[in-house]
Order: sequence, then C-alpha cells, then structure tokens
Amino acid sequence: MYEERFDKRAFNELRPMEAETGVVPNAKGSARFRIGNTEAIAAVYGPEEVKPRHIEKVDRGVIVCKYDMLPFSVPDRAKPGMDRRDIEISQVITNALNRAIILEDMPRAMINVRVYITQADAGTRCASLTAASMACADAGLPMRDLVAAVAAGKIGDHVCLDLSKEEEDFHEGEGATDVPIAFLPSKNEILLLQLDGRVSRDELKKVIEVGKEGAMKIYELEKEALKRRFSNESKS
Amino acid sequence: MINAKNFDIVTPGELLSDEKNGGNGTYEEENKVYSKFLGMAQVSEKRIDVTPLTGNYYPSEGDDIIGEVTEIASKYWVVDINAPFYTRLDVRDVNFRAELGELDRYIEIGDLIYARVFRIYPNNAADISMRGTRYGKLEPKLTMKIDPVKLPRLIGKEGSMINMIKDQTKCDILVGQNGIIWIDGDEAGRLAAATAIKFIDENYVETDLTEKVGRLLENVRGKV
Repeated sequence: MYEERFDKRAFNELRPMEAETGVVPNAKGSARFRIGNTEAIAAVYGPEEVKPRHIEKVDRGVIVCKYDMLPFSVPDRAKPGMDRRDIEISQVITNALNRAIILEDMPRAMINVRVYITQADAGTRCASLTAASMACADAGLPMRDLVAAVAAGKIGDHVCLDLSKEEEDFHEGEGATDVPIAFLPSKNEILLLQLDGRVSRDELKKVIEVGKEGAMKIYELEKEALKRRFSNESKS
Repeated sequence: MINAKNFDIVTPGELLSDEKNGGNGTYEEENKVYSKFLGMAQVSEKRIDVTPLTGNYYPSEGDDIIGEVTEIASKYWVVDINAPFYTRLDVRDVNFRAELGELDRYIEIGDLIYARVFRIYPNNAADISMRGTRYGKLEPKLTMKIDPVKLPRLIGKEGSMINMIKDQTKCDILVGQNGIIWIDGDEAGRLAAATAIKFIDENYVETDLTEKVGRLLENVRGKV
C-alpha cells in the first residue's frame, strides 16, 4: 500500500521549484523552470514572417511550438529529434498557448516557441508549458494570462499533487493515475487536461481541485520571477 | 475599484480594476480590466495604461526609421526595418530620379537608409518613403539596436538625454523609431556614445538616468 510518498512530501505538496527569465540572450524572450528534478528551458523568437507561407493567417498570428527532450535528460539516452511523443506534446503546448496569447493583435506574424527538457523526472509537459508561457511574457507578447500547469493524480487511494517518475511507475494496487492540468489562473479556465490511468468521476473532481491549488502556487512563482528581473535592475 | 498603483510592475493577466477604464496595453473581459503585457502600470484619474517593459517594433504612420536593404526588385527595394515584416520602398517614393531595372545603381543590398513610414495596411504591412530632404541613404558607420520600448528613455524629455550624449561625445547620432541607432564620429566619441547607449539599454528602469549617464560619459572620456 502507498501510505507515505517516496520523498516524504505531503500529498498536496509540490516539489521544490525555481524559475528565472532571460536565460537565452539570443532569443526575444526566454525562461527556465525547474520543479524537483524536472527542468525545462523555453525560448521565444518572433513575431516574424510566417514560414512556411501556407500556414499564414490574414487576421491573426500563428504560433509554432517545438518540444524536445535532450539526449542526456533521461537515464537511458533519448534519441535526438522529434518522436511521436514529442510531436504530441508540441501540439498540446501549442493549443494551450493559442488561448493564452492574444494572437488577434499580430496578424500575419509567426511566433516560434522552443522548449527543451534538460532533465526529466515526470511532469515535463506541465513544466514546458509553464516555462513557455513565462518566455512569451518575457518576449513582450500580448497575453490574456500566464499559464500555470501541474500534474496531479492518484496513487493507490490517495489524491496526489506533482507526481515524480518513481510515483508514476507505482504498480501495486490500482497503480498510479497521472492527470496533467494547465490553468489560466486569473480566468479560472482549463487549457489542458489529459488522463493516463484510471480514476472515478468524483475522484477526478478532487484531482482537479488539488491541481488548481498547486497551479496557484506556480502562478505566484511565475509572477515573482518575471518581476524580479526588473526590480533587480533598479536596485543595482 | 482600482487594484494597480502607479509605476507598479504588472504581469499579463493581472487584474487592474473593475471599472471600464482600461487604456493602452490592457484588455477587458466581463467588465474587468486586465494587463496585456509584462509592463509598468500608469494610473491616472481617467484610465490605466500599461507600458510594456520588453517588446517589438510595430510600425505606425509617420515614424522615422532606419532600415537595411535586403533585396532589390525591378520597381522597389525590400527593406528590413526591425519589424515582424519586411517593407517596400517603391521607386516613386525616393528623393532622386531612379532608372527602372537599375535600382542597384542607387541603393545596394546591405545599404542603410533613413526613411519614413507613410502607409500602414490593416494586416500590419507598411510602406516607407524617402521623399523629403531629411531622408536618404546613410554611410556605413556604427549601428546599434535597442528595444523600441526603451527609446523614450534614450531620447529623454524633449531630447535631453540624446542631446547630452551628442554634446559630450561630439558624435552625430541618428535614432530610428524602430530601435536602430546610427552613430558617426571619431573613434573615442563613438566608443563613449556606444557605452552610454548600452548603459541605458541595461538600466532603463532606473530613475535619474540622465545624471548617471552624464557621470558615465565623463568617466569614459577620462580614460580615453
């Protein structure tokens, strides 16, 4: 049975987090987000001319995301380049950012978002989305809100927040359920909701509730990280 | 109820007020005003504006800009003006008589030009013009690029900052509203001007910037 978490956290506690912006000087905006042993670096380029030309929209901008795991991010070497999983995650990040960024303000333009996972320990798509939204804000894009994403879930009978890889692979009893959720915190909107495992309808509601509490903490950290860069400059 | 204070740094999605008084850089949803950018709030009695702290250049009519010619067609030059899109300089909009099909005799690829944005299309495309005696081709000198949102600090109140840099370094400085700066002068002057501009680029949220830049310029000139 699963009574205590492997790293002795409370069931609704996040792993230690870190966030900073402006980590890639060549990009228009960039951010790094770490939660536990998962770390994502996001860089935003643009707005610029749309390439390839056929995806151009006359009345709004388009956003193209690329998610990639670096070869050394996992214990077994990850093959460089995009595999099926990377393409799926790129797509869900694009969909979430489409809602978060006000694309109507930049017709005919393209925004390139690149997210790289330097260390993977579960919850990479949520970490990527959080880092990507911070990078977009850092790039000065018009946005409805920042995105705060976190994986909630269920291990055995317990509703948990922010599962690690070890917990995701828990197979005793009912096993582990992983529910990555992304919020627009100030709008109370859900941008991403996926489910891997088994969960009942009532439990899913609890999982989302726990996820939301975690997301609010991430949101505060994001805001603090974005503001820090400018308040530091005024002190020096 | 107004939630934001003047000069507060706000993030996108931050609730500014629940009255209908949003200005530039804000958006309304369900009768509430939110910030659109990572920026600085400017609260007055009538409305709330958010000035972005980072950002891109979007051309608007009447801007004086510096651009680089990237392509030559038979009737126009294609110019990169640091905006999301390339713009066209039509052969009819230059201040000299140009022979069609031989445009590279006048302005070549890689040349810098000083021009004015005179037309904006609804889809954000822009046309530029070189008509008028102020505009023309620029000699290849030192150029720098800064974020267009920082230009107000570089120019200062009624040009106080940029005039001070010009006086102290004895340089000829041309500032394009798209964030490209062209500097002409002797080597020590150019170096001093570039140092000052870089300082503004990095410290543009500070107060008393003109004094600090003045002191910096004295230091730099003392060393050379």
